[in-house]
Amino acid sequence: MTSSATTFANQRSVSFGFALLIVVLYIFLLAPLVAIVGSSFTQSLLIEFPPKGLSLRWYVEFFSRHDLVSGLIMSLRIGMITAIVTTVIAVMAGLAGRTLRGRLSGWFQVGMALPLLVPELLTAVGLLFFLYEIDLGKTVVGLQMGHILMSFPYAYVSISAALRQVPSSLEEASASMGATGWQTFRLVILPLVMPGVAMGAIFAFINSFDLYTISLLLKPLGGNTLPLALFDFLTYEFKPTAAAAATISIVLSLIGVALVQKLVGLQRAF
Amino acid sequence: MTRLSRFRILLALPAVGLIFVFMILPITNMVDMSFRTTGTTGPFGDAYTLGHYNRILGDGYYWGVLLRSLVTAAMVTLLCLIVSYPIAWHLSKARGTKAVVLYACIASPLMTGVLVRNFGWMIIVALNGPLNEVLLAFGIIERPLRLLFTQGLVILALVHVFIPFMVLPINNALRNISPTLTEAAASMGATRLDILRDVILPLSFPGIYPGVILVYVLAVAAYVTPALLGGQMVSYMPTLIISELTGTFQWPLGSAMAIVLSLSSLGVVILFTAMTWKMMERSRA
Repeated sequence: MTSSATTFANQRSVSFGFALLIVVLYIFLLAPLVAIVGSSFTQSLLIEFPPKGLSLRWYVEFFSRHDLVSGLIMSLRIGMITAIVTTVIAVMAGLAGRTLRGRLSGWFQVGMALPLLVPELLTAVGLLFFLYEIDLGKTVVGLQMGHILMSFPYAYVSISAALRQVPSSLEEASASMGATGWQTFRLVILPLVMPGVAMGAIFAFINSFDLYTISLLLKPLGGNTLPLALFDFLTYEFKPTAAAAATISIVLSLIGVALVQKLVGLQRAF
Repeated sequence: MTRLSRFRILLALPAVGLIFVFMILPITNMVDMSFRTTGTTGPFGDAYTLGHYNRILGDGYYWGVLLRSLVTAAMVTLLCLIVSYPIAWHLSKARGTKAVVLYACIASPLMTGVLVRNFGWMIIVALNGPLNEVLLAFGIIERPLRLLFTQGLVILALVHVFIPFMVLPINNALRNISPTLTEAAASMGATRLDILRDVILPLSFPGIYPGVILVYVLAVAAYVTPALLGGQMVSYMPTLIISELTGTFQWPLGSAMAIVLSLSSLGVVILFTAMTWKMMERSRA
């Protein structure tokens, strides 16, 4: 009786301890984001968490800073182009990948994920020399190519997973009724895989928006992406403007998370 | 193969071209670059030499930096595994709305840039920041700790960066474990600890393995975190490589360093795979 009561009490305290541990770990996981968002609304001149008072002055300050705003615009533009280009070529590659079987298919998947599997630093250093040799060194086009390369696997993984869900019998049925390859793709396959394609585009955009190392090495003359501008800002003037800039980036990623949940569900996406 | 599917395979051309031209060619080119002589007029010379590798491997300073990078990454990976396992375990049990909320809590940091998350730590560990205030309030410390620009903070921030990379594969492996297995073990008198050690841990290895490899390889080559939070006192291999490339324009030496770093981390991955081969076999059986 006594011993079973102690076991019960022990088990209770073990599960309570575990629950506490989980709470602490999630606080650890979310703390940096909360600290940034919180301190961006401060009234004081220092980056402080919890913020002193509430104001939007640092957002006003952010939008009056030419270097940060032009970084934001550059990041948004490069991210959009990256999302469009990677999505189109990932859909094409995914359609090609569907026709492969067995071992070949496995190697194809690995090949398409290469930019993700090789450290960014190595790819970035290689690209720095290569772009210099083909006269694209320190140009926006060069940086754009780097972003497309690094973000391609994210688009490909989502899109090819969606394409694999489409049974090939649907295509055969469509073809047997006289549809051309393009018609089958446009009217049968694409509507079915649209959520996966949209998710691939979101992942590619967000990955591009967040890239740092490759942008640093391929930085075009006189141009900065938002992360590069933010790093410089943090090094030279540590003001709440930086928190406002970082909050904009966090809001974008939260929108991304919400969209992914809506499109395919987070559990299936990760 | 029908004519149609032969045409279909051509659709892969843009993607294959992208990866070949902008990744495989440049990295091959970089290997070539690492054997070039130091340039007098440009960033590299025309002749070939083994000099850069001799210089890196013959110099205690470079060995020290390389070793620091490899050991730091190993510590980051181990801590990340310890922290991520309970999160993955808890996540794998969650269903419905709770699961969605937890996934969102893990995906949000994942989809936020490394630089932004590192900046968050700068706010938290600042001298008058929330961490010091909490520690002071509880009387754990008497005066604020100086944590910014320390190696400990670099490790902490890297662990934070890589948690989702570890949690997600382990969570997927745990979700694949059939509950009948643990029930069977429990009915045969195994304690919770026995089940964790003999059933759950080996069966979650297919998730632990990719998580560990991914985190290690990424941690070895991580640049932003040591550059932002490590300060000027301590060098890591990636920060040294980038300063050689962009500061002093020593392209051949920088390439050789990047290759030495990549080969060393590949060596560690192979070593880890060999050491855990038995465990992987067991989990397959």
